[in-house]
Amino acid sequence: MRAHFSRPAFFEGVRDMTPVLIGIVPFGMVCGIAAISAGASPLAALAMSAIMFSGAAQIVASQLIAAGAPLMVIILSCLVVGLRFLVYSAAMAPYLRPLDHRWRNVLSFVLTDQAFAGTIQRFRASDDLRANASYFLGGGALLWVVWQVATLAGILVGQVIPASWQLEFVVPLSFLAILTPLLRDRVTLLVVFTTAVAVVALDAMPMRLSLICAGLIGIVTGVIADTMRGEHD
Amino acid sequence: MTKETTIWLAILAVGAINYVARLSFIALFARRDMPPLLDRALKHVPAAMLTAIVVPAVVFVAPGVLRLDPGNAKLIAALAALAVAAWRQSTTLTIVVGMAVLWLAQYALR
Repeated sequence: MRAHFSRPAFFEGVRDMTPVLIGIVPFGMVCGIAAISAGASPLAALAMSAIMFSGAAQIVASQLIAAGAPLMVIILSCLVVGLRFLVYSAAMAPYLRPLDHRWRNVLSFVLTDQAFAGTIQRFRASDDLRANASYFLGGGALLWVVWQVATLAGILVGQVIPASWQLEFVVPLSFLAILTPLLRDRVTLLVVFTTAVAVVALDAMPMRLSLICAGLIGIVTGVIADTMRGEHD
Repeated sequence: MTKETTIWLAILAVGAINYVARLSFIALFARRDMPPLLDRALKHVPAAMLTAIVVPAVVFVAPGVLRLDPGNAKLIAALAALAVAAWRQSTTLTIVVGMAVLWLAQYALR
Protein backbone atom coordinates (compact mmCIF):
# COMPACT_ATOMS: atom_id res chain seq x y z
CA MET A 1 0.00 0.00 0.00
CA ARG A 2 2.72 2.42 1.08
CA ALA A 3 4.74 1.69 -2.05
CA HIS A 4 2.14 3.45 -4.18
CA PHE A 5 1.38 6.34 -1.86
CA SER A 6 2.41 9.82 -2.87
CA ARG A 7 1.64 12.42 -0.24
CA PRO A 8 1.80 15.48 -2.55
CA ALA A 9 -0.52 13.81 -5.08
CA PHE A 10 -2.95 12.82 -2.29
CA PHE A 11 -3.25 16.42 -1.13
CA GLU A 12 -3.44 17.64 -4.71
CA GLY A 13 -6.45 15.33 -5.07
CA VAL A 14 -7.97 16.76 -1.89
CA ARG A 15 -7.39 20.33 -3.10
CA ASP A 16 -8.82 19.75 -6.59
CA MET A 17 -11.94 18.09 -5.16
CA THR A 18 -12.65 20.93 -2.73
CA PRO A 19 -14.80 23.07 -5.10
CA VAL A 20 -17.09 20.05 -5.61
CA LEU A 21 -18.05 20.32 -1.93
CA ILE A 22 -20.37 23.25 -2.78
CA GLY A 23 -22.66 20.64 -4.27
CA ILE A 24 -21.77 17.71 -2.00
CA VAL A 25 -22.49 19.41 1.33
CA PRO A 26 -26.14 20.32 0.59
CA PHE A 27 -26.62 17.01 -1.26
CA GLY A 28 -25.38 15.05 1.77
CA MET A 29 -27.62 17.13 4.04
CA VAL A 30 -30.60 16.38 1.77
CA CYS A 31 -29.79 12.66 2.07
CA GLY A 32 -29.75 12.89 5.86
CA ILE A 33 -33.03 14.82 5.90
CA ALA A 34 -34.66 12.39 3.43
CA ALA A 35 -33.64 9.32 5.45
CA ILE A 36 -34.93 10.78 8.73
CA SER A 37 -38.24 11.90 7.22
CA ALA A 38 -38.63 8.40 5.69
CA GLY A 39 -38.56 7.04 9.24
CA ALA A 40 -34.94 5.89 9.57
CA SER A 41 -33.18 6.21 12.91
CA PRO A 42 -30.27 8.69 13.01
CA LEU A 43 -27.82 5.76 13.13
CA ALA A 44 -29.44 4.12 10.08
CA ALA A 45 -29.47 7.45 8.24
CA LEU A 46 -25.73 7.81 8.85
CA ALA A 47 -25.12 4.15 7.92
CA MET A 48 -26.80 4.80 4.56
CA SER A 49 -24.19 7.44 3.80
CA ALA A 50 -21.28 5.42 5.20
CA ILE A 51 -22.14 2.10 3.51
CA MET A 52 -24.20 2.88 0.39
CA PHE A 53 -22.16 6.04 -0.29
CA SER A 54 -24.31 6.97 -3.28
CA GLY A 55 -26.58 10.00 -3.15
CA ALA A 56 -28.82 8.76 -5.95
CA ALA A 57 -29.35 5.36 -4.29
CA GLN A 58 -29.90 6.95 -0.88
CA ILE A 59 -32.55 9.36 -2.19
CA VAL A 60 -34.35 6.58 -4.10
CA ALA A 61 -34.16 4.23 -1.09
CA SER A 62 -35.49 6.93 1.25
CA GLN A 63 -38.41 7.72 -1.07
CA LEU A 64 -39.29 4.04 -1.33
CA ILE A 65 -38.95 3.45 2.43
CA ALA A 66 -41.25 6.44 3.01
CA ALA A 67 -43.76 4.93 0.56
CA GLY A 68 -43.63 1.60 2.43
CA ALA A 69 -42.19 -0.32 -0.52
CA PRO A 70 -41.08 -3.94 0.03
CA LEU A 71 -37.38 -4.68 0.53
CA MET A 72 -36.98 -6.31 -2.90
CA VAL A 73 -38.32 -3.21 -4.68
CA ILE A 74 -35.89 -1.00 -2.77
CA ILE A 75 -32.96 -3.28 -3.60
CA LEU A 76 -33.93 -3.65 -7.27
CA SER A 77 -34.41 0.10 -7.78
CA CYS A 78 -31.07 0.90 -6.17
CA LEU A 79 -29.42 -1.83 -8.24
CA VAL A 80 -30.62 -0.24 -11.48
CA VAL A 81 -29.61 3.23 -10.26
CA GLY A 82 -26.18 1.80 -9.37
CA LEU A 83 -25.57 0.20 -12.80
CA ARG A 84 -23.63 3.30 -13.78
CA PHE A 85 -20.86 2.25 -11.35
CA LEU A 86 -20.17 -0.64 -13.75
CA VAL A 87 -19.47 1.94 -16.44
CA TYR A 88 -17.17 3.99 -14.22
CA SER A 89 -15.42 0.82 -13.08
CA ALA A 90 -14.87 -0.26 -16.69
CA ALA A 91 -13.48 3.17 -17.61
CA MET A 92 -11.12 3.21 -14.61
CA ALA A 93 -10.07 -0.44 -14.93
CA PRO A 94 -7.20 -0.03 -17.42
CA TYR A 95 -5.58 2.54 -15.13
CA LEU A 96 -6.19 0.82 -11.79
CA ARG A 97 -5.61 -2.84 -12.74
CA PRO A 98 -1.81 -2.68 -12.27
CA LEU A 99 -2.27 -1.69 -8.60
CA ASP A 100 -2.24 -4.30 -5.84
CA HIS A 101 -5.54 -5.60 -4.54
CA ARG A 102 -5.65 -3.40 -1.43
CA TRP A 103 -5.39 -0.24 -3.51
CA ARG A 104 -8.03 -1.49 -5.93
CA ASN A 105 -10.37 -2.45 -3.08
CA VAL A 106 -10.05 0.94 -1.40
CA LEU A 107 -10.22 3.03 -4.58
CA SER A 108 -13.28 1.08 -5.78
CA PHE A 109 -15.09 1.94 -2.56
CA VAL A 110 -14.69 5.69 -3.18
CA LEU A 111 -15.62 5.48 -6.87
CA THR A 112 -18.57 7.88 -7.11
CA ASP A 113 -20.02 10.08 -9.87
CA GLN A 114 -18.05 13.07 -8.60
CA ALA A 115 -14.78 11.19 -7.97
CA PHE A 116 -15.00 9.66 -11.44
CA ALA A 117 -15.89 12.91 -13.21
CA GLY A 118 -13.17 14.77 -11.32
CA THR A 119 -10.26 12.39 -11.87
CA ILE A 120 -10.73 10.45 -15.13
CA GLN A 121 -9.16 13.31 -17.13
CA ARG A 122 -6.00 13.09 -15.05
CA PHE A 123 -5.77 9.32 -15.51
CA ARG A 124 -6.10 9.79 -19.27
CA ALA A 125 -3.52 12.59 -19.36
CA SER A 126 -0.80 11.17 -17.13
CA ASP A 127 0.64 7.67 -16.80
CA ASP A 128 2.20 8.21 -13.38
CA LEU A 129 0.19 5.44 -11.74
CA ARG A 130 1.49 6.09 -8.23
CA ALA A 131 0.60 9.78 -8.32
CA ASN A 132 -2.74 9.15 -10.02
CA ALA A 133 -3.83 6.53 -7.49
CA SER A 134 -2.92 8.80 -4.57
CA TYR A 135 -4.65 11.73 -6.28
CA PHE A 136 -7.81 9.65 -6.67
CA LEU A 137 -7.57 8.45 -3.06
CA GLY A 138 -7.26 12.06 -1.85
CA GLY A 139 -10.33 13.24 -3.74
CA GLY A 140 -12.33 10.12 -2.86
CA ALA A 141 -11.42 10.27 0.84
CA LEU A 142 -12.40 13.93 1.04
CA LEU A 143 -15.77 13.17 -0.56
CA TRP A 144 -16.43 10.26 1.82
CA VAL A 145 -15.54 12.21 4.97
CA VAL A 146 -17.48 15.31 3.95
CA TRP A 147 -20.44 13.13 2.89
CA GLN A 148 -20.67 11.74 6.44
CA VAL A 149 -20.35 15.17 8.05
CA ALA A 150 -22.97 16.65 5.71
CA THR A 151 -25.38 13.75 6.36
CA LEU A 152 -24.92 14.22 10.10
CA ALA A 153 -25.62 17.94 9.68
CA GLY A 154 -28.80 17.09 7.75
CA ILE A 155 -29.88 14.68 10.51
CA LEU A 156 -29.21 17.25 13.24
CA VAL A 157 -30.33 20.55 11.69
CA GLY A 158 -32.51 19.39 8.79
CA GLN A 159 -35.72 20.42 10.52
CA VAL A 160 -34.69 24.07 10.87
CA ILE A 161 -33.95 24.62 7.17
CA PRO A 162 -36.93 26.46 5.60
CA ALA A 163 -38.71 24.43 2.89
CA SER A 164 -38.69 27.52 0.65
CA TRP A 165 -34.91 27.14 0.19
CA GLN A 166 -35.64 23.99 -1.85
CA LEU A 167 -32.30 22.50 -0.81
CA GLU A 168 -33.35 19.19 -2.41
CA PHE A 169 -32.94 20.82 -5.84
CA VAL A 170 -29.14 20.36 -5.54
CA VAL A 171 -29.80 16.67 -6.28
CA PRO A 172 -30.99 17.12 -9.90
CA LEU A 173 -28.46 19.94 -10.37
CA SER A 174 -25.57 17.69 -9.27
CA PHE A 175 -26.58 15.02 -11.76
CA LEU A 176 -27.29 17.55 -14.50
CA ALA A 177 -23.67 18.71 -14.20
CA ILE A 178 -22.51 15.13 -14.80
CA LEU A 179 -25.09 14.39 -17.51
CA THR A 180 -24.51 17.49 -19.68
CA PRO A 181 -20.97 16.64 -20.88
CA LEU A 182 -22.30 13.28 -22.12
CA LEU A 183 -24.68 14.99 -24.58
CA ARG A 184 -22.22 15.01 -27.44
CA ASP A 185 -23.60 12.57 -30.00
CA ARG A 186 -27.01 11.96 -31.55
CA VAL A 187 -27.55 8.52 -30.04
CA THR A 188 -26.99 9.86 -26.51
CA LEU A 189 -29.41 12.73 -27.19
CA LEU A 190 -31.96 10.15 -28.36
CA VAL A 191 -31.38 8.09 -25.20
CA VAL A 192 -31.88 11.16 -23.01
CA PHE A 193 -34.99 12.28 -24.89
CA THR A 194 -36.58 8.81 -24.83
CA THR A 195 -35.81 8.30 -21.14
CA ALA A 196 -37.17 11.76 -20.29
CA VAL A 197 -40.46 11.13 -22.12
CA ALA A 198 -40.76 7.64 -20.63
CA VAL A 199 -40.09 8.68 -17.05
CA VAL A 200 -42.81 11.36 -17.29
CA ALA A 201 -45.27 9.10 -19.12
CA LEU A 202 -44.78 6.26 -16.61
CA ASP A 203 -44.87 8.51 -13.55
CA ALA A 204 -48.18 7.00 -12.38
CA MET A 205 -46.51 3.61 -11.79
CA PRO A 206 -46.40 2.65 -8.12
CA MET A 207 -43.23 2.68 -6.01
CA ARG A 208 -41.26 4.77 -8.50
CA LEU A 209 -41.00 1.82 -10.87
CA SER A 210 -41.03 4.52 -13.59
CA LEU A 211 -37.34 5.09 -12.76
CA ILE A 212 -36.31 1.51 -13.59
CA CYS A 213 -38.63 1.17 -16.58
CA ALA A 214 -37.70 4.50 -18.16
CA GLY A 215 -33.99 3.84 -17.59
CA LEU A 216 -34.21 0.43 -19.27
CA ILE A 217 -36.28 1.87 -22.16
CA GLY A 218 -33.58 4.50 -22.68
CA ILE A 219 -30.76 1.93 -22.63
CA VAL A 220 -32.56 -0.38 -25.09
CA THR A 221 -33.26 2.62 -27.37
CA GLY A 222 -29.56 3.41 -27.37
CA VAL A 223 -28.59 -0.15 -28.27
CA ILE A 224 -31.15 -0.24 -31.11
CA ALA A 225 -30.03 3.15 -32.41
CA ASP A 226 -26.39 2.02 -32.39
CA THR A 227 -27.33 -1.14 -34.28
CA MET A 228 -29.26 0.81 -36.91
CA ARG A 229 -26.34 3.17 -37.38
CA GLY A 230 -24.09 0.14 -37.75
CA GLU A 231 -21.73 1.15 -34.99
CA HIS A 232 -19.86 -1.74 -33.48
CA ASP A 233 -17.12 0.03 -31.62
CA MET B 1 -40.60 -7.26 8.98
CA THR B 2 -40.36 -3.96 10.87
CA LYS B 3 -39.45 -0.77 9.05
CA GLU B 4 -36.13 -0.55 10.93
CA THR B 5 -35.22 -4.11 9.83
CA THR B 6 -36.15 -3.32 6.22
CA ILE B 7 -33.99 -0.20 6.32
CA TRP B 8 -30.95 -2.01 7.73
CA LEU B 9 -31.28 -4.91 5.26
CA ALA B 10 -31.59 -2.38 2.41
CA ILE B 11 -28.47 -0.56 3.61
CA LEU B 12 -26.42 -3.77 3.74
CA ALA B 13 -27.75 -5.17 0.45
CA VAL B 14 -27.43 -1.93 -1.54
CA GLY B 15 -24.06 -1.21 0.05
CA ALA B 16 -22.82 -4.65 -1.07
CA ILE B 17 -24.32 -4.27 -4.57
CA ASN B 18 -22.78 -0.82 -5.03
CA TYR B 19 -19.38 -2.04 -3.87
CA VAL B 20 -19.45 -5.05 -6.20
CA ALA B 21 -20.49 -2.78 -9.11
CA ARG B 22 -17.62 -0.41 -8.32
CA LEU B 23 -15.12 -3.27 -8.00
CA SER B 24 -16.45 -5.13 -11.05
CA PHE B 25 -14.08 -4.22 -13.85
CA ILE B 26 -11.33 -2.83 -11.64
CA ALA B 27 -10.83 -6.01 -9.60
CA LEU B 28 -13.24 -8.80 -10.47
CA PHE B 29 -13.31 -9.41 -14.21
CA ALA B 30 -11.51 -8.10 -17.28
CA ARG B 31 -13.34 -5.97 -19.79
CA ARG B 32 -12.43 -8.39 -22.58
CA ASP B 33 -14.74 -11.05 -21.15
CA MET B 34 -17.78 -8.82 -21.53
CA PRO B 35 -20.36 -9.90 -24.11
CA PRO B 36 -20.49 -7.24 -26.88
CA LEU B 37 -24.21 -6.58 -26.35
CA LEU B 38 -23.67 -5.89 -22.63
CA ASP B 39 -20.76 -3.63 -23.50
CA ARG B 40 -22.95 -1.61 -25.86
CA ALA B 41 -25.84 -1.48 -23.38
CA LEU B 42 -23.57 -0.29 -20.56
CA LYS B 43 -22.39 2.61 -22.67
CA HIS B 44 -25.86 4.15 -22.41
CA VAL B 45 -26.42 3.50 -18.70
CA PRO B 46 -25.13 6.82 -17.28
CA ALA B 47 -27.11 9.01 -19.72
CA ALA B 48 -30.32 7.00 -19.23
CA MET B 49 -30.16 6.68 -15.44
CA LEU B 50 -29.06 10.26 -14.81
CA THR B 51 -31.94 11.47 -17.03
CA ALA B 52 -34.42 9.24 -15.19
CA ILE B 53 -33.30 10.82 -11.90
CA VAL B 54 -33.07 14.46 -13.07
CA VAL B 55 -36.21 14.89 -15.19
CA PRO B 56 -38.94 14.02 -12.64
CA ALA B 57 -37.24 16.23 -10.03
CA VAL B 58 -37.51 19.16 -12.45
CA VAL B 59 -40.81 18.82 -14.31
CA PHE B 60 -43.11 17.76 -11.44
CA VAL B 61 -43.99 20.62 -9.08
CA ALA B 62 -45.92 18.26 -6.78
CA PRO B 63 -46.48 14.48 -6.92
CA GLY B 64 -48.19 13.82 -10.27
CA VAL B 65 -48.40 17.52 -11.19
CA LEU B 66 -46.49 18.05 -14.46
CA ARG B 67 -45.61 21.65 -15.39
CA LEU B 68 -43.71 22.39 -18.58
CA ASP B 69 -44.41 26.14 -18.68
CA PRO B 70 -42.32 29.09 -17.41
CA GLY B 71 -44.45 29.12 -14.25
CA ASN B 72 -42.30 26.19 -13.05
CA ALA B 73 -39.28 27.81 -11.35
CA LYS B 74 -37.43 24.48 -11.26
CA LEU B 75 -37.71 24.16 -15.04
CA ILE B 76 -36.23 27.62 -15.58
CA ALA B 77 -33.44 26.90 -13.08
CA ALA B 78 -32.65 23.54 -14.70
CA LEU B 79 -32.46 25.10 -18.19
CA ALA B 80 -30.10 27.79 -16.88
CA ALA B 81 -27.99 25.11 -15.17
CA LEU B 82 -27.95 23.08 -18.40
CA ALA B 83 -26.67 26.10 -20.33
CA VAL B 84 -23.96 26.73 -17.74
CA ALA B 85 -22.92 23.07 -17.66
CA ALA B 86 -22.66 23.03 -21.46
CA TRP B 87 -20.63 26.25 -21.45
CA ARG B 88 -18.29 25.46 -18.56
CA GLN B 89 -17.80 21.90 -17.39
CA SER B 90 -18.04 22.90 -13.76
CA THR B 91 -20.25 21.15 -11.21
CA THR B 92 -19.77 24.04 -8.80
CA LEU B 93 -20.85 26.73 -11.23
CA THR B 94 -23.79 24.60 -12.43
CA ILE B 95 -25.12 24.18 -8.88
CA VAL B 96 -24.52 27.80 -7.86
CA VAL B 97 -26.25 29.19 -10.96
CA GLY B 98 -29.04 26.59 -10.75
CA MET B 99 -29.88 27.42 -7.13
CA ALA B 100 -29.56 31.18 -7.70
CA VAL B 101 -31.93 31.07 -10.70
CA LEU B 102 -34.34 28.86 -8.75
CA TRP B 103 -34.53 31.37 -5.90
CA LEU B 104 -34.82 34.35 -8.27
CA ALA B 105 -37.51 32.68 -10.38
CA GLN B 106 -39.42 31.67 -7.24
CA TYR B 107 -39.25 35.25 -6.01
CA ALA B 108 -40.27 36.70 -9.40
CA LEU B 109 -43.15 34.27 -9.83
CA ARG B 110 -44.58 34.85 -6.39
